[in-house]
Amino acid sequence: MKNRKMKFTALALAAACMMSFSACGSSIPENTVNSLADLDAGGKKIGVQTGTTGDLYSTDEYEAKKINTVERYNKGADAVQSLKQGKIDCVIIDTEPAKVFVEKNTDLKILDEPFADEEYAMSIDKSNTALKEEINAALTELKEDGTLDSIKKNYVGTDEEKGKTPYKSPEDVDTSKGKLIMATNAEFPPYEYYEDNKIVGIDADMAQAVADKLGRKLEIQDMAFDSIIAAVTAGKVDIGVAGMTVTEDRLQNVDFTDSYATSKQVIIVRAK
Amino acid sequence: MSHFIELFHRDFIQDNRYKYLLTGLGNTLLITFFAVLIGIFIGFLIAIIRSSHDKMDRPGFLLNFLNLLSKIYLTVIRGTPTVVQLLISFFIIFTSPNASKLMVATLTFGINSGAYVAEIVRSGIMSIDAGQMEAGRSLGLNYAKTMRFIIMPQAFKNVLPALANEFIVLLKETSVCGYIGLADLTRGGDIIRSATYDAFLPLLTVAAIYLIMVCGLSALVGKLERRLRTSER
Repeated sequence: MKNRKMKFTALALAAACMMSFSACGSSIPENTVNSLADLDAGGKKIGVQTGTTGDLYSTDEYEAKKINTVERYNKGADAVQSLKQGKIDCVIIDTEPAKVFVEKNTDLKILDEPFADEEYAMSIDKSNTALKEEINAALTELKEDGTLDSIKKNYVGTDEEKGKTPYKSPEDVDTSKGKLIMATNAEFPPYEYYEDNKIVGIDADMAQAVADKLGRKLEIQDMAFDSIIAAVTAGKVDIGVAGMTVTEDRLQNVDFTDSYATSKQVIIVRAK
Repeated sequence: MSHFIELFHRDFIQDNRYKYLLTGLGNTLLITFFAVLIGIFIGFLIAIIRSSHDKMDRPGFLLNFLNLLSKIYLTVIRGTPTVVQLLISFFIIFTSPNASKLMVATLTFGINSGAYVAEIVRSGIMSIDAGQMEAGRSLGLNYAKTMRFIIMPQAFKNVLPALANEFIVLLKETSVCGYIGLADLTRGGDIIRSATYDAFLPLLTVAAIYLIMVCGLSALVGKLERRLRTSER
């Protein structure tokens, strides 16, 4: 009896495997997006991460005008996965994460033509002007003494520069003025991502440097990207730092500090 | 008040944002409806296999095999989270570019629901006194007919509240569709939320729509229950 049961199990598993493989056989369609003009021609499926600038721009540019359809994913990585499987035609996303995705996936490429230019800044509640002034002053100092540049180079520099200049807090840093709580969405390399169970990246280091200047202890809270501004306005966190672009819609709800980085929105497509 | 009107305008009127909720609602209803049908079909089939197997002294080769398959299905489906099943369907099984998200979601939720419906229906069948089967058989009905005309109608009435519960859960469970980028009702609210950065109105509206749907469903089931009860006399 036992033996018979084993046989059945094996049979059932084999059947299950066959069924799942039969569904995989389909081929991935050829890339049809080679320039912005191809997107303007219409009829494409654009993948984005919900609430990002890629989402906002492509919604305004294409979805509202019924030119292309926009598919929104929780994570940029999910959109890229769908692109690889041919479920969508391209992904519009910030240039740095795009480079990371393409580096890891040789079957993808970034189009030379950027989709849009943008500036990153920290979001902060409108009532919190005192903190905003403090942060702006700290940012100006960090820009002038080269700290900001060396933080960026540590993550996105040339191969020789990468990993060479990690930010370290000064030895005698004081944290007497309390906490600086930052909201982020740590799925956005190289700006913020997990490494050894810790959130690292340009934004994390830059915020740490700002906190050191302010005499506060940095605390990072990871959340969904589209919850960050809600957390800032609700006063749950002090600042939102997540490669966040300054846009008109966002300015209706929050203030932004001075910009600390410039970036581009680019288009990822399948290489073939 | 004017602030509220402004918010309302920004959340729903501007750029026709209410359409996200409408298409989302449509998708949610479509997925739930067909998933319920699939769930009922799979559920009843498995429940009959399992209860027939359990009631028989010497189940044959085929029944043993089907029972084992059912058990594997129940274990796997009930042992893994729906979200994970949805992601597996979308990213591993249906990798084809032509596989529609709606189809993937409907199948996943249908197969998921089937496992729960199966056990609910089995509990109903097992709750019917063995004498009912004996009575049916001594009236000259064969096994299948006794099942169909005597056991199942009684079992169905017993499990109706539990079944309604399962379908309510299913309706709300579809809110995880956003994981595969499918614009269901919850996702519709999220899209508005991510465009306007207002959490208040979109979330409350979405909650209210789910609540209304569940109330409607409960009312329908209540009506059915009452009708079945009157036929008792």
